[in-house]
Amino acid sequence: MDDLLQISRLTKQFGGLVAVSDVSFSVREGEILSIIGPNGAGKSTLFKLASSFLRPTAGEVRFRGERISGLAPHVVARRGVVRTFQETTIFKGMTVRENVIIAHQLRANASLLGYYFASSVARRDEAEFGRSADEILAFLGLDGIRNDPAVTLPHGHLRALGIAIGLATNPTVLLLDEPFAGMNHDETMRAVEIVLGVRRRGVTVLLVEHDMPAVMQISDRIVVLNFGEKIAEGTPAEIQQNQKVIEAYLGVEDESIGI
Amino acid sequence: MAQVIANGVYLGAQYALIALGLTLIFALMNVLNFAHGQMYVLGGFITYTAYGQLGLPFIVALLASGVTLGVIGALIEKLLFRTVIRRSVREESTMLLAAAVAYFLDAVILLLFGEKQRGVPKIVNGVFVSDALIMPYDRLLIGALAVLFIGAFMLFMQFSKPGRAMRALAQDRVAAQLMGVRVDRYSMIGFALGAMLAGVVGGLLVAITGVNSGIGGPISIKAFLMVMIGGAGVVGGAIAGGFILGMIESVGLSVLHAYGDITYLVIFAALMVFLSIRPNGLMGKPWG
Amino acid sequence: MSSTSKLFSALAFLLVTLVAVPWLITVTRRLDLYYTLTSVALLAIASGGVWLTFYIGRINIGQAAFALMGGYVSAILVVTYGVPFWLTLPLAGLFCAVASILIGLPILRLRGVYFAMVTLVLTEVARLLALALPVTNGAKGLVNIPLPGSTTLFGVTLIPDFATLANPRLTFYLISVVLMVICYAGLYRLVHSRVGRLCLSLQQNEELASSIGVNVAYLRVVIYAVSSLLGGLGGAMFVAISQSIYPSSFTITDSINFMLNCFLGGLGYVFGPILGTFLLYFGWDLLFQTGRLQLLIFSSVLIALMLILPNGLLSLRLFRRSKG
Repeated sequence: MDDLLQISRLTKQFGGLVAVSDVSFSVREGEILSIIGPNGAGKSTLFKLASSFLRPTAGEVRFRGERISGLAPHVVARRGVVRTFQETTIFKGMTVRENVIIAHQLRANASLLGYYFASSVARRDEAEFGRSADEILAFLGLDGIRNDPAVTLPHGHLRALGIAIGLATNPTVLLLDEPFAGMNHDETMRAVEIVLGVRRRGVTVLLVEHDMPAVMQISDRIVVLNFGEKIAEGTPAEIQQNQKVIEAYLGVEDESIGI
Repeated sequence: MAQVIANGVYLGAQYALIALGLTLIFALMNVLNFAHGQMYVLGGFITYTAYGQLGLPFIVALLASGVTLGVIGALIEKLLFRTVIRRSVREESTMLLAAAVAYFLDAVILLLFGEKQRGVPKIVNGVFVSDALIMPYDRLLIGALAVLFIGAFMLFMQFSKPGRAMRALAQDRVAAQLMGVRVDRYSMIGFALGAMLAGVVGGLLVAITGVNSGIGGPISIKAFLMVMIGGAGVVGGAIAGGFILGMIESVGLSVLHAYGDITYLVIFAALMVFLSIRPNGLMGKPWG
Repeated sequence: MSSTSKLFSALAFLLVTLVAVPWLITVTRRLDLYYTLTSVALLAIASGGVWLTFYIGRINIGQAAFALMGGYVSAILVVTYGVPFWLTLPLAGLFCAVASILIGLPILRLRGVYFAMVTLVLTEVARLLALALPVTNGAKGLVNIPLPGSTTLFGVTLIPDFATLANPRLTFYLISVVLMVICYAGLYRLVHSRVGRLCLSLQQNEELASSIGVNVAYLRVVIYAVSSLLGGLGGAMFVAISQSIYPSSFTITDSINFMLNCFLGGLGYVFGPILGTFLLYFGWDLLFQTGRLQLLIFSSVLIALMLILPNGLLSLRLFRRSKG
């Protein structure tokens, strides 16, 4: 397996505060890699750095050997590294299907003018987007509600819609921002199935998560952050045995490591 | 040079007070109050009537301006903004309301006080003269009063119960509500306080420059400028923005004296360049 | 609406504005109404631009700057260089579009009230520039601009020479309405194409839009350029009718009114600005008889409208539909 995404010596400071400090690891093609850590460990900062929504203070992110950190988010998405957001971030004024159709922008062959004047390329694009959106919605079990306004969805479906939007871009690597947060056991199990399904489509997954049991179940490898530094990296079994990780989590009362 | 700086500080103190009211309302309710300049003008006319026409002491007249505008502000919030904010799909709708209120106040001012430039007798006579500086005593007094009011406002926001509640509200509306801050009540108090500040500055400046019904719009624009320089919704930003604009104007008008309007053109152009580098002003948070 | 009923509504609108209205005006001898209605049509074009910037989630209070710019470009080309007016009209629009790209690149990064305030300042910058530049003739402005000449295409006279017309006001009215219809047809198509959907994605969440690969900065600038083009067209046409332009021809009040027109019609409806402009302009005109109370009544009605219909007049239609 090749290294698809290389995070090397990444550091991010906000004012005097170091949110992420000298973190390096790689994501291999076809795997599910999770980043975990106690609250305030720098997970979401690292997530934004990896997806180029933040510019690192030092270090870099490379995708297939090419530097992507510092590029605009839409350029990074075009290369194949796409992030999702937490559940409330969808296009609220559109239906479920419209959300997914608009997310096909990266597959667009026509220009703005083409779409404006409904050129033949644009019409072919739009037919293709509709077909692909329906396929993705069926894959995620959202076809029954595809014409519902997106704002009215319950949060399990919202999370699935977020992933549907991500899939529509045809990503090589999909970065998931806390895909299991705020879910009960059944919802989490369904979401786990969805993430496994995403990987079966050939998409490499990097996710940031709180929910330890789900992470242990789903991940090929895990990276653990504490106070902005990487304290461990390995398979779920290795992480569960790791003394540093156990200490880091014992220091935090309201969080259970779930072993 | 000392003269230019003194003028800048004097002007800046007035400006900062104007900007404080605007930024307070923005921070609490996310409303860009187009009517701020008109509130200022109304305050000016009330002081003009009480002090200039009725012969009441200046400080009483100032108080009357502040209280009247406070009441008007509270009513505008309670009767108008609250309803529109609740019922509107898009929060920008409050801008239309604010613009309509500005027109309304303009109309009221025009009907009540006419369109003539009004001035009042000097509050103190005499001129302070030293080697480097010539400054009339009334300007010194008004400048000092403005600084005093700024200080009082900051102390109020920092230490009083309503002040703390309003700061919580400005930081995070939902969290404040969960903590038991009565959002409606403090939105109203905040709006009233913002309007009151506008009224008080209007009253202060009537003693120096007089007042006329047409300056509301231009004053609003200057207030917007200051808030943009400092950063919207931040108390420190408003004060900084006020003093910076006061200073730039003072320097600009003395350097580019011969060219008149060019000063403002230069200020505006510089501001646009500045904002494209620092989109949230000096101290603003990216929440607009 | 089905496409036949759309076509029918469009034809009905054209019939009313191009045939019925002139007929009514002739019958009632209210020739002054031509000027009012022409103004409505032209201001509606500029307001349409403001509406479009609302559509990408930006509050634009700077349209008067582009109306002024368009007006001056056309006037200067006509007066100083003798370019035929009908050629200066697209040139004015293009000039504004290019200028707005240069201005928009930095300022479109601003959001919310910051963008609103900067565009407001932009209006003031335009006025001060018009005062200061030698080519605009300062506060005295450009006056006695000749009326547009005739224009022919393949030997057919499309628009006759205005100086020779018995009733130039009617012709101006017809041309302005046609221009407005063309502009709004363009807007309508934009909103209902994938481009419109992309605009909506910007309005609703720029971060999410960029995460799915939308070039947010590029699209914003393109839309702002279209918006300013409309402002420039409206301004240039206006100057041709009034035959003069001053730095005070379009001011902050106009910028705010353009915005009010959009709000009043409803931000969710493409044709909202036409209705808003019509009502605001006519309402103001009707209230002229009330003399000193004009502004008071006007603003009171505006406030009342905001309280009753905070989502614009056209939201009434939506309400009815959701009820039935």
